[in-house]
Amino acid sequence: MINFKIMMTKTKIFSSLLALFIVFTACNDDFLDTQPLDKVGSNATWGDETLSEAFVFSVYSYLGYGGYEEQMLAVLTDEALFTHSGRGINTFNEGNETPQNLAWQSGTYNWATMYSAIRQANVALAQLPEATFDNQGMKDQLMGEAHFLRAYYYQQLMRFYGGVPLIDSPYTLADDLAIARSTFAQTVDFIVADLDKAATLLSGKAMDDGRASRLAAMALKARVLTYAASDLHESSKAPSGYGTDLHAYSGGQPARWQAAQQAAKAVLDVTSGYKTDLSAPVSHSEGMANAVAISMGGGSAVADAAAKSELIFTRTMSSKYTPEDNWPMGGTHFGVNNGPNGWHNWSGNPPTQQMVDDYELMDGSKFDWNNPTHKADPYANRDPRFHNHVLFDGAKWKPRPSDVIGMDPNSEYQSGKYDDGSGEYLAGLDTRQGPIENWNGSRTGYNLSKWIDPDPSLKENLTSHQLIPWPFIRYAEVVLNYVEASINLGQEAEARNWMNKTRFRVGMPAVTETGADLLNKYINERRIELAFEEHRYHDARRWLIAPGTLGRGVERIDITANVKSGKSPQVPYRYDKTTYDYTYEVQNETTVENRTWKDKMYYRPISRDEMNKNDLLVQNPGYE
Amino acid sequence: MPGVTVIEKGTFNGVTTDFDGNFTLTVSDENAVLVFSYIGFVTQEVPASSDSIIVNLASGSDELEEIVVTGYGTQRKATITGAVAAIKGEDIIKSPAVNLTNTLSGRLPGLVVIQGSGEPGGDGATINIRGINTLGNSSPLVVIDGIPDRDGGIGRLNPQDVESISVLKDASSAIYGARAANGVILVTTKRGESGAPKLEYSFNSGWTAPTVLPEMSSSYEYANIMNELAIYNTIPVNEWGSALSGIKGAGIYNSPTEGITSLNALYSPTAVAGYLSGNDPWNYPNTDWYGETFKNYAPQQNHNLSLSGGSENVRYFTSLGYIHQDAIYENSATFYDQYSLRMNIDADVNEYIKMNTGILTRREDRNFPTVGAGAIFRMLQRGRPTENARWPSGEPGPDIENGENPVTITGQETGYRKNPKDFIQINGGINITNPWIEGLELIVNGAVDVNRETSKTWQTPWKLYAWDGVNQSSAGLSANVRSPFTDPRLTESSNSVLNTNLTGQLKYNITFGENHDFELFAGVTKEKFSGSDFFAFRRNYISPAIDQLFAGGADDQNTGGSAYERTRLGYYGSLKYNFKDTYLVEFLFRRDGSYIFPEVGRYGNFPGILAGWNISNESWFNVQDISFLKLRASYGELGSDQVFYNGQLQEYAFLSTFGFGQYPINSNVVNTLYETVLPNPEFTWEVARNTNFGLDAKLFNKLNLTLEYFSNKRDQILIQKQGSTPASSGIGSLLPPENFGSMTNAGFEFNLAYDGGDSNYSDPGAFRYTIGLNGGYSKNAIEFIDEVSGAPDWQLQEGKPLGAYLLYESDGVWYDEAEIAANTLDYSQVTNQLRPGDLKLVDYDKNGKIDGDDMVRQEDSFTPRLQYGITLDMSYKNFDLSVLFQGSQGGLTTLFNGEFGDWGNYYKYQHDNRWSIENPSRVHPRLASRGDTWYTGGGYGNNTYNYGSTDYLRLKNIELGYNLPQEFLGQGFISNFRLYASGLNLLTFTEFGMTDPEVADRTYPLQKVWNLGLRINF
Repeated sequence: MINFKIMMTKTKIFSSLLALFIVFTACNDDFLDTQPLDKVGSNATWGDETLSEAFVFSVYSYLGYGGYEEQMLAVLTDEALFTHSGRGINTFNEGNETPQNLAWQSGTYNWATMYSAIRQANVALAQLPEATFDNQGMKDQLMGEAHFLRAYYYQQLMRFYGGVPLIDSPYTLADDLAIARSTFAQTVDFIVADLDKAATLLSGKAMDDGRASRLAAMALKARVLTYAASDLHESSKAPSGYGTDLHAYSGGQPARWQAAQQAAKAVLDVTSGYKTDLSAPVSHSEGMANAVAISMGGGSAVADAAAKSELIFTRTMSSKYTPEDNWPMGGTHFGVNNGPNGWHNWSGNPPTQQMVDDYELMDGSKFDWNNPTHKADPYANRDPRFHNHVLFDGAKWKPRPSDVIGMDPNSEYQSGKYDDGSGEYLAGLDTRQGPIENWNGSRTGYNLSKWIDPDPSLKENLTSHQLIPWPFIRYAEVVLNYVEASINLGQEAEARNWMNKTRFRVGMPAVTETGADLLNKYINERRIELAFEEHRYHDARRWLIAPGTLGRGVERIDITANVKSGKSPQVPYRYDKTTYDYTYEVQNETTVENRTWKDKMYYRPISRDEMNKNDLLVQNPGYE
Repeated sequence: MPGVTVIEKGTFNGVTTDFDGNFTLTVSDENAVLVFSYIGFVTQEVPASSDSIIVNLASGSDELEEIVVTGYGTQRKATITGAVAAIKGEDIIKSPAVNLTNTLSGRLPGLVVIQGSGEPGGDGATINIRGINTLGNSSPLVVIDGIPDRDGGIGRLNPQDVESISVLKDASSAIYGARAANGVILVTTKRGESGAPKLEYSFNSGWTAPTVLPEMSSSYEYANIMNELAIYNTIPVNEWGSALSGIKGAGIYNSPTEGITSLNALYSPTAVAGYLSGNDPWNYPNTDWYGETFKNYAPQQNHNLSLSGGSENVRYFTSLGYIHQDAIYENSATFYDQYSLRMNIDADVNEYIKMNTGILTRREDRNFPTVGAGAIFRMLQRGRPTENARWPSGEPGPDIENGENPVTITGQETGYRKNPKDFIQINGGINITNPWIEGLELIVNGAVDVNRETSKTWQTPWKLYAWDGVNQSSAGLSANVRSPFTDPRLTESSNSVLNTNLTGQLKYNITFGENHDFELFAGVTKEKFSGSDFFAFRRNYISPAIDQLFAGGADDQNTGGSAYERTRLGYYGSLKYNFKDTYLVEFLFRRDGSYIFPEVGRYGNFPGILAGWNISNESWFNVQDISFLKLRASYGELGSDQVFYNGQLQEYAFLSTFGFGQYPINSNVVNTLYETVLPNPEFTWEVARNTNFGLDAKLFNKLNLTLEYFSNKRDQILIQKQGSTPASSGIGSLLPPENFGSMTNAGFEFNLAYDGGDSNYSDPGAFRYTIGLNGGYSKNAIEFIDEVSGAPDWQLQEGKPLGAYLLYESDGVWYDEAEIAANTLDYSQVTNQLRPGDLKLVDYDKNGKIDGDDMVRQEDSFTPRLQYGITLDMSYKNFDLSVLFQGSQGGLTTLFNGEFGDWGNYYKYQHDNRWSIENPSRVHPRLASRGDTWYTGGGYGNNTYNYGSTDYLRLKNIELGYNLPQEFLGQGFISNFRLYASGLNLLTFTEFGMTDPEVADRTYPLQKVWNLGLRINF
């Protein structure tokens, strides 16, 4: 009986379990059809205006931090010397870059990154005409922005590589991916055509800061045509081996200068920048204020907000953009990246002595170390843009951090060594021998300050954000492009007249030179006005002056302050010409780079892997 | 004795003894032989009889007759056909390691165990079975009490709860199908036995200290190096000698060369003398950053209380565990607490119906400072000996950078980070035997695992002390905020996981004829893993007084969150055939479906076949010294749905989806949508084809021997077709991972155990010892990854192990100018000027110049090829001693991190060996400051000089125990009282002593542990 009961229970449980077992394993089709909960389907995007716009925003994102990178393009030129070793920068500056051993390259012009960006633009350009949302105005605008951005990224490739493969639709895995480089002329034409379309599509659109506008498209066109007209790209003038159609035109240079001039003039006809209607130089102090305002681009609480009108295309900054807190840090941390170590900053891209020397005196004359007056007090009476761009020994700056201010209550930049009265010298707080994070000290004796917000309430620590926009294109560049075309077309009066527009507002006197002197004056004016804005790298190449400028060894300044006889040293030290005799010695700076010039450096190499993946590619000269 | 397994020899017919040790078993014929086995006792064979049999089991260690847990069941070691390694709980608890993974190395041949960090709460080891088998994810499947991939894994299981761990290394894991490709680790927890309640309390108290700390240069040594470097970087080579004399003498050198006027000593002769004498610690300290930050020993404790027992029909095992582990920091914000409770209950409803339940709750409480261990250990190495970590008056010194002074950031001054995890894991099952048909069994199991993890990071600004440079006492110091932020900020996050598993299985035993025994097994398992997470961030707290989200500032808040749902369905079965324990064959099969793949081809089939031949059972086999000899072979096709590419699980790679990003437009942060990857509609499994040959033997009745040889082939590994896709296509970074990669891995394992000493097992006090040697060797090679064509053959990854380094080969050092003058190799792509003390590179392709083509793919990667263990277990009277040495061979790692020079200290090794003007070397180059020589930074920094072997041998584990004699304990309350001393990682022998060979530098170091413990059984 008991046994029977057990048998019954057993059978019942067995049967019910078996039934359950079958039920839960039967309907399984849906069970395995889960959906991703952290992404959005691509097909949903083009039916929705906001999502489509978000896609175009991602095309912008390849602009990165603009030029506010930890390692600025300036350090590949005679503008600046990167402080920290081991970053692959010397590989470039010492002429050792090869297709197998690429030097450091920024993501803002790197071959692969640019083509990723171009693809995003191509996807948008292919999808937007088919997009199912209603707002045609928005479609046009997004198309215009995509055309502009594609042109911008091709322009980067053109500047660094010459003529490149031109891809105007999104590839699929099934496509033949091998493609030859177009000629330089075709590349220029492609970019210009995109910009013309952008200008048309963006016509009448009020664009937010940080987005492409009609004016931006016109200004970028002026730049591209200026490059196209330059000697580097004229076969007969280009260095030997660099005159093929991958990099140059054969003849027709005057017509190209005319086109460049017209394109620039078209911009100048519809906008006027910041304080460019002056008929005479302003005072030094006003010039100083204007220079600061132009650098700040309206983004600082302590500079003229109206200077925003100078900007044509920018990368804007937001304190809320938390990814910029990530390494490597971007434009909101320009101050940390570039300020002096004595403010607990990292002195990333300090100006070279040669850069400092090229700032004129207030009267428009050249600085000269052989002039005893100049040598005795080299930082006095200089172009206000020098005081705006460069921190130099004795320059007053923001308040020192709380743990340092005791050592320097006056908050003056200290890059020298100072007699302490006992025969020993104190190393300046902002030197590589100083007591504060000295590995972050500048190697040249200067720091770059052009875009550091002077607002004292913004402490230069890792979590205070400055909001100075990066100027991809600004009015002064268009003016100078116009000037350059005018000089090359022999219109010297017109050139002088427009050059004064960037000079009067900062207090510099009118240009009077003619002929070769005028060209040199222009070359220097562009170097100073557009300093550190990613122009020098290209300009020195375009003008074929790279070997004697970019190829120079870097110089630094050694400053020694000795106590005048009968005086006692200042404790704590402060800059004081009545107490100390200051001597300034220019020295070769070789600790991290021994710069040289090799002609292959006119263009960057295409990596060996890329060459091998695309057998139609031709390598740039000097890297074969 | 309850729980003894009784099996009819050569069959699967068996029972276990009941509460009183009784059993009844119906055997197939009157000549049957019964096998009595119980873990820890010598198995006995007795002829069956219809009368009662009284069997006395002797304790001992007859390895061959042990019961081993295998896939969905258990097997006697004698009938196992696969490559299975096992360890018993009693061996695990010999180690005072807190994390279970760290008790496994050296004990299980074929298991590659690498512990990457010793940080409390983060000290789990990476475990691979037979090394690396795939480019993707090489992690094995962990099955705990029958539930696969259980959340929380193996590491934090209470070692005291573990009955045994088995490792399935070959086709024997095929029954786990789509997740079995990398092998399976089966963990079985302890269960109760019928009998009087057994109460056990154990207590361990340990003291931990780093195994190896880098020995750094002193301030005097550092100052000398830095003074030399200034010469190298600014003075022409032919003046180096005189420059050094000038710097050392007057502290200045005036160069006759134009453009270089004078060089001042970075550290003046006064300063160098000050560092040497140590008389003025305010101005000229000699700081040992590790010493200032660490205490001598950090404590750890472990309490465990367990109760087990049961009536005839209900058995229970419960255990309560507590672990506390402290960090080595002097002023430590880091510590780990773990609380766990396990209850395993078995009930026999009646003769045919059995139930089992397992419940685990565990809290893992991790606590850290707000600055991570990575930053702390980086700063410890960067700390220059010429700067004060603490001022001589005791206050913390200045930061190294970003407010990071290790003395302070290891403590509570920076706020806190609390990271608790709570696990609740429940599994239960019912077994029904012989429903209608004799030999049929139905098993239904279910499991629900819940996990909630939260993290709260409260960052508060901290202060450090600046010195006025004058007043050499506390009065000269001022406290300043030096954190890289000035407003308190709070980040909270939470994620929760719910995993369910439902399993049904049928088992059927049948015998045909006399000796043809079959076991048929079929099962189905349905799994769903789901989870979600979110985080919130607020800053601009006006005061550090309130550490709650509501009190944050209105601006700059940030929130986010995500979720997932992962499902799997598996059908599996096996057929085992046993002929007289002599011929053994096993077929395994699984059909798995996984959410991760597209509907077409979502299911995969995974078969395995295993065979064994017990030669020693053959009548003709008559070798006296070989009491047991078995040959085994297996082949299986296993799968992996853990398809990783670039370290990321590729979920939904068959769908076209856009990812979310952020970018500032018009000074606002906007969301962006971007292509992440092109869809791959043919996305599918990785397939492993694993072959194994094994041999088990017992020689001279003393020596147990197991040998394995394996050859694994892995196909359909995800790769991108990088090699044929130019970047100009724009899709170079969007290429879908496709199943085209392949890899091989082959090697062998050995396990020898010699059972020595007195062979009288019945005398517990006799002198006995066992010596063991085990190890596993594996060498993998990439077969296909679509490498870019055009690179020289000697640089290809294909044919070389995964992760094999691509390096220039160094060949000594340019000794002096004369040697450089005689050089004929073209170094122009490397440097504009060779200088004495530069490294020599090998012109591998002999084209007369050093260039990119001279890099050579090495044979070695970070993963060692051989790991081995040597064990010695001895017992005599009341004493026992257990020793484990563990070693590793064939790994290669980078020796120097590059953060030395002007922004970090040098290893003493670098100081002592360096090329210098006064003491040039032909082996070791001139030192660099932060990578500023061509052979330390950039492409040419990847050279063999900067890499070194990770080979090591260590005294991994030692335990000396003493059981109090019975006469002290008397009759009654306490049945056993054991005292023991044990240690972990007490000695380490290695070629380069800079850091522990298992960890990268700038990581929380591995710890050695001295431990005292006691165990009381009531």
